[in-house]
Amino acid sequence: MTTQPHDIRQGSRHSAVLRPAGPSSRTFVHDSSDAPDHLEITDVRKRYGGTEVLKGVDLSVAQGRTTAIVGPSGSGKTTLLRLIAGFSAPDAGRIALGGAEVAGPEKWVPAHKRSVGYVAQDGALFPHLSVGANIAFGLPLRGKAAARRVGELLEMVSMDASYAKRRPHQLSGGQQQRVALARALARQPELMLLDEPFSALDAGLRVATRRAVSKTLEQAGVTTILVTHDQAEALSFADQVAVMRDGKLAQIGSPFVVYTRPADRATAEFLGDAVILEAWLEGSLALCSLGGIPVRMPKVQGKVNLMLRPEQIRISSGSSIRGRVVDTDYFGPETTVRIQLEPILVDAEHPRDPHQPVGGEVINIRHWNAMLARPGTELFLKVVGEGVVFPWQG
Amino acid sequence: MTSQQSTTAVRKSGAKNLRNAAGGRGSRFGPWPVVVLCLLIAAFSLLPLGFVVVATANAGWDTIATLVFRPRVGELLFNTLSLVLITVPLCVLIGVGGAWLVERTSLAGNKAWAVLLAAPLAIPAFVNSYAWVSAIPSLGGIFGGVLISVLSYFPLVYIPVAAVLSRLDPALEQSAAALGLGPWRVFFRVVLPQLRLATAGGALLVSLHLLAEYGAFAMIAFDTFTTAIYDQFRSTFNGAAANMLASVLVLFCLLLLLAESKTRGSARYARVGAGVQSGPTRLRLGAYQLPGQLALIAVAVLALGVPLWHVGRWLIAGGAEVWMRNDLLTSLLRTLDYGLIGAAVTTVLAFPLAYLVIRHPGPVSTFLEAVNYISSSMPGIVVALALVTITVHNVPAIYQSSLVLVAAYALLFMPRALVNLRAGLAQVPRELDEAARALGKPPLVAFLRVTLRLAAPAAAGGAALVFLGIVNELTATLLLAPNGTRTLATQFWLLSSEIDYMGAAPYALLMILLSAPMTYLLFVQSKKAAGQ
Repeated sequence: MTTQPHDIRQGSRHSAVLRPAGPSSRTFVHDSSDAPDHLEITDVRKRYGGTEVLKGVDLSVAQGRTTAIVGPSGSGKTTLLRLIAGFSAPDAGRIALGGAEVAGPEKWVPAHKRSVGYVAQDGALFPHLSVGANIAFGLPLRGKAAARRVGELLEMVSMDASYAKRRPHQLSGGQQQRVALARALARQPELMLLDEPFSALDAGLRVATRRAVSKTLEQAGVTTILVTHDQAEALSFADQVAVMRDGKLAQIGSPFVVYTRPADRATAEFLGDAVILEAWLEGSLALCSLGGIPVRMPKVQGKVNLMLRPEQIRISSGSSIRGRVVDTDYFGPETTVRIQLEPILVDAEHPRDPHQPVGGEVINIRHWNAMLARPGTELFLKVVGEGVVFPWQG
Repeated sequence: MTSQQSTTAVRKSGAKNLRNAAGGRGSRFGPWPVVVLCLLIAAFSLLPLGFVVVATANAGWDTIATLVFRPRVGELLFNTLSLVLITVPLCVLIGVGGAWLVERTSLAGNKAWAVLLAAPLAIPAFVNSYAWVSAIPSLGGIFGGVLISVLSYFPLVYIPVAAVLSRLDPALEQSAAALGLGPWRVFFRVVLPQLRLATAGGALLVSLHLLAEYGAFAMIAFDTFTTAIYDQFRSTFNGAAANMLASVLVLFCLLLLLAESKTRGSARYARVGAGVQSGPTRLRLGAYQLPGQLALIAVAVLALGVPLWHVGRWLIAGGAEVWMRNDLLTSLLRTLDYGLIGAAVTTVLAFPLAYLVIRHPGPVSTFLEAVNYISSSMPGIVVALALVTITVHNVPAIYQSSLVLVAAYALLFMPRALVNLRAGLAQVPRELDEAARALGKPPLVAFLRVTLRLAAPAAAGGAALVFLGIVNELTATLLLAPNGTRTLATQFWLLSSEIDYMGAAPYALLMILLSAPMTYLLFVQSKKAAGQ
């Protein structure tokens, strides 16, 4: 009966990006021992009309690394990207690129004088120019030299040199994005800014284009910032994920850290499916309907909300924690199973108290075996790894 | 291929509009030199309205009372109001009916009819009047006025309505049919309400043309405010009397604008999906095919056949001799001169306005839009009167110079250029400009090489429509042109006033020939504009 829950997203994450293996080696945050900070953003604020879109953002990006700024629409992530690009100026705060200030109280360097590459959501290829002329737009070269460089750049994005003669509207969406990337790479920018470049593509094309872009940027060694509202894209693409909400960065960390140890409940739920349980925390052990769950360095005690990722909850015959299947949703490779848990076990040390959590929630987990989970079946459950606690919200 | 290009160019979302609200460093209203320039242009375009307001305020109540409350004004009021109230519904009937037959029924030869119903726009109203007077010398009064107006102006309703009908999402009609409505009830309950905006816009244009038209009504001796102001001004140079009539006329125009904006209310064009949609459903005419064809033939004969026939008749009667007159070539060249210069100046003046409105929406651009909306309603006679009075009193050096005439053309036709430029600039996403800047091009270079280049076709389209307007402009040209200047329109007017119908015919033909390609352009553009 022991089975491994299979998470598609995690699977693709490992194969999508070339990165040092193992989660522990990816836990870099502001550790600049190996690479200096390339981009330094300090307390940046921006207001449009009556709305404060950015409410004080701090972010550092190390040389040659990839950072994803992820957040729901309207969170201010695109505004932040435009400030970095130099399309508009912050109301307050500083932005420094490679140690030199490009935006601050006394200084503002416009976009064309910053060494940044920019790829917009739909590629923004110039419709009146051929693919070749688009790529050569920012090059100081002319004639044969330009044509040669265009060929190299097309090769960099895995496109045949013959595409140079085509018009943007003759390309597929994925090809347009790759041409836009080649155009942005032409001037060898120090910093590449990607504004949701994959969101306009179909699901299949999106993954392939994302991989191709990621590979190209890695080979070119360009510091990259990706803005996206798609958490799976952010987690798979970047070395560092910055979660944006309501004009602030809620959390910055490696994909592994922000996913497994989110800073708050909203971040947890934004980055993926989360099982939230009522729990009673004493020391570093949280008691909930799934038994006692270890918690790393909790900041609160007593009545809390405990967060687990669904893939941490496994079906195991050797467990005493029971749940009854309520119903299931079949998705092909996996099935979402809704399970009614039993109320929190009361023993002599933890007498039932009206202030204490009750438990007995209904949770969703995923399982590959659709046959196993018929409604009414009783399952034995086990939790792998640590939980994360948040202050009690009810 | 085209649809893919348009998806890359057009995709826009609410979030992006917010971003568009500000660019550059702390520039909430846009770059300040552009803002200042735009405000100057706006002030310039408010000259005619300002003139009327100041003239009325200076006249004093007694003068106003004696000049406005008199039987003559009552008669003009009656004529003008009846003209508008009879002509506009007829134009709507023919325009909407024709558009529906052409776009939504199994009308035989609908492609040819689509063009034929737009074609009368190429015949200036005063040429139409000339042809009808040749046909029926006794033509006059309200009947004559309505006849000529309807035949000249119904395409102003037909063109926008046909454009909307051809682009309306058939899914709406299919849904209505699925809800149990028959074809006729679908038309009245689903299709017709969608045409409200286009119809109201067309009706406003017809009304404004009726208020502003001079030549067509003067030719059949039908008095409206515009003809009366012209006569008053020419006979007495009496400022006060003409100015008061102009105030009443302007008041009418503003009331029309108000009525139209009330009709529009909160209605919006049905959002046409970005994807490919199936063609419109066509209603089988069956036994109605013959009456439909006959009705359209009648319209085409009256609106196109009669004017072309009579112009042709006079041309044949005049023979080669009428083509030999010296004036013909000089007037043609002078018309082309004014047309090209006027179109260029107007387009250049409209550009900063369009740029600010599209790229920096905010309080300034909203104000500019309002100014443009109001000044677009000013009749040629009021513009001319304002410029004559202002130049005579304040800058006599340029009185009756070409400069003032070109200024009048710019005032009259700026809205045409603006509409096209705005549409063109809206097609150039801000992202393209930014992409160029991120590739190291300074803002001005990025603007020239990307935005200006991509907006060029739209600017050319707008300039062509301004050119068309100038070629057929009569009222302001008569009042403002330097002494001895002859354009096609003024020379045609002079000759037909002298009952030299043979001599006038070549001018009529040239004006029709110059207008025809522009009318076709307008027709094609309207189809595109409705889809986006």
